[in-house]
Formats: sequence, C-alpha cells, structure tokens
Amino acid sequence: MGTPRLSATRRTVIGKQLGQLRRSGQLPAVLYGPGVEPQPIQLSARDAAKVFRRVHGSELIDLDLEGATRKVLVHDLQRDAIRGDFLHADLYAVDMTRVIRVRIPIRLVGTAPAVTTFSGVLVRGLGELEVECLPANLVTAIEADLGELREVGQAIHVRNLYVPKDITVLTDADDLVARVTFQAKEEDLATPASAAVPTEVEVIEKGKAEEEGEEAE
Amino acid sequence: MLLPKRVKWRKQMRGRMKGHETRGVEVSFGEYGLQALEPCWLTQRQIEAARRALVRYMKRRGKVWIRIFPDKPVTQRAAETRMGKGKGAVDHWVAVIKPGRIILEVSGLPEDVAREAMRLASHKLPIKTKMVVAYDLAREGGS
Repeated sequence: MGTPRLSATRRTVIGKQLGQLRRSGQLPAVLYGPGVEPQPIQLSARDAAKVFRRVHGSELIDLDLEGATRKVLVHDLQRDAIRGDFLHADLYAVDMTRVIRVRIPIRLVGTAPAVTTFSGVLVRGLGELEVECLPANLVTAIEADLGELREVGQAIHVRNLYVPKDITVLTDADDLVARVTFQAKEEDLATPASAAVPTEVEVIEKGKAEEEGEEAE
Repeated sequence: MLLPKRVKWRKQMRGRMKGHETRGVEVSFGEYGLQALEPCWLTQRQIEAARRALVRYMKRRGKVWIRIFPDKPVTQRAAETRMGKGKGAVDHWVAVIKPGRIILEVSGLPEDVAREAMRLASHKLPIKTKMVVAYDLAREGGS
C-alpha cells in the first residue's frame, strides 16, 4: 500500500463562515510544522474522510498544496460527536531530518489460547505507544501477539513488544497492553461495586447540614 | 445503586440540557459503547437496570464500564402537601445526559454479542441510543 495522498488549496474563509464551507463539501484544516508558517487550508471532505478513516496519526501522508508536495502527519482531528463527520484537521508538516514524537497504535493480532480454552476475558490496556524516531522510520502499527497469552492472568506489557531498533519507546515499559482475566463471579453481577455505599449522602458544609436537619424535623 | 458518597450541597437547581455533549463522547476504555442521541436525566435506577440487562446477557464474558454517574439530586414534595414551606426532600439522583454522551462501554466480546447486549440495555433507558465502535478499532477494520 503506497503513501496516502491528499490535495489541498489555500483557505481564505475563516471564522463563522466555515459552516458554509463544510456544506459545500470542503474540510477546513490547518498546516503547520518546523519552518512552515501556519496556514489555513481546505481539503475535499470526501477524499479526506476516506484517508482519515484509514490512516493513523503516525502515518505519513503526501499533501499536494499548490504544486508542492509535503509529508504530513495528522496531529489532531475534530469530529462531530454524533454523526462522526470530520470537522477540522490539524496537519503537521514533518522535517524528515528531525526526530519527532508520535503515538503509534498497538494492534492485537491472533487469538489468546487462554480465552479460547479457559474462557478468560481479554482486557485491552494501552492502545498507543509513544515513541521518538525519524519520520522515515515510522511504522503503521506495532503488533502484539495474543498467542503468548496461554493462561488466565498472563499479560503483555510494553517491554514484551517487538519494536524496530530505530524507534525509541517513551512509554513506561511496565504499562499494560493486554491481559487475560478471570470471568466475573456470579455475586459480582448481582450487586454492583457501589452496593456497600450507604444510602445517606454526607454533606460537606457542616453548618448547612445541621440547619437542614433541623428544618426536616 | 449508584449515588455520591458526599456532596457539597444537598439540593440543586434543575438547570438546562441545551446543545450536545462535548466531553465523554469517545469510546475510551472498551471496544463498543452505547451513545445517547437525546438529552435526558438518567436516574440511578435506569442506569442500574441497563447495567443488569447488559451483564446478564454477557454471561460473565467481557468487561463493562459505566461512563456516567448520577450526581444530581432530584427533590420531590411529599404527597398531599400544600405549596410553600421550602423545597422538597431529595428523592433520587440523576445523571444529566446530553446527545453524544457515551453511557456504557464493553470489551472482550464479539461484535454481535456486544450489539445484542447493548440493544437489551438500551431498552432500559428512556432515550434513543446507538452503538458505537471505538475509533481505533473502526480504523483497523477499515484498513
């Protein structure tokens, strides 16, 4: 799969007029980075959505802007909470000679024998790994092999992941990536964890509580 | 049932539920979430009923997160009481829900089981909801 490509044009529309721009099928975005003056740009919403739904923030994209092609990373995406449409994108123009910090997704591959044979519950921990590397050394994802989880209680931590040599991991090595736990006990299902909480709610303001207590009487 | 341990003020004003939610709108812990599409006050009983329906169908598989907490007291006047004499006593607690809010999350379940569990849980709620998939998971599926 080649590098995803997006074409953009400079944007003059700012502020409240952006709603109109979005309705006309354009996605407002901003381009910035080392040695690049922050500039508002616009992308085709349809093309951009196709790319953004497939690409993680750690994957380079070729951005065509007025004849020049730059390598960019998606730094931030604003989405509509309900419809899921993209509202705005922050694109970071990378300097290929400068080390960058990015978050690379952790992809769980395979099936855990502890889940299939012992009916354990697979709990996902960390979803992304914070790393430092040159942009050229970026990988699309770091894979965690669930096949190693043979017994209930076993876990995969950051230190167990295979990471290419050119990439420095900044996330704590003891952070959890995935764990197989025992199924919940029957009694846990019947009563929530908060069942032990008294039905009376304590009021912090003592003076107020006393006053109200008197009123109630 | 869920309720706060201690509060700063015993009673609250009702407030309004304009607009949509801006926080707690992404599936953060699990793989699938139940998202509110309408504003409402969800009572502690409704939350508990939804949780029970979800857990019962899941049959001890997977893990559940409740992303909301009923921290707003609702008062009720005693029956056959004349108007006046101050605000009523606290009757129950509610969580203020605006469209977009993720109510419940589950993980460790196949999608079809999660979908059915969410459907059963949504029947215990007084609002329209939809099941959403975690953003990173949706992207993995799309690649």
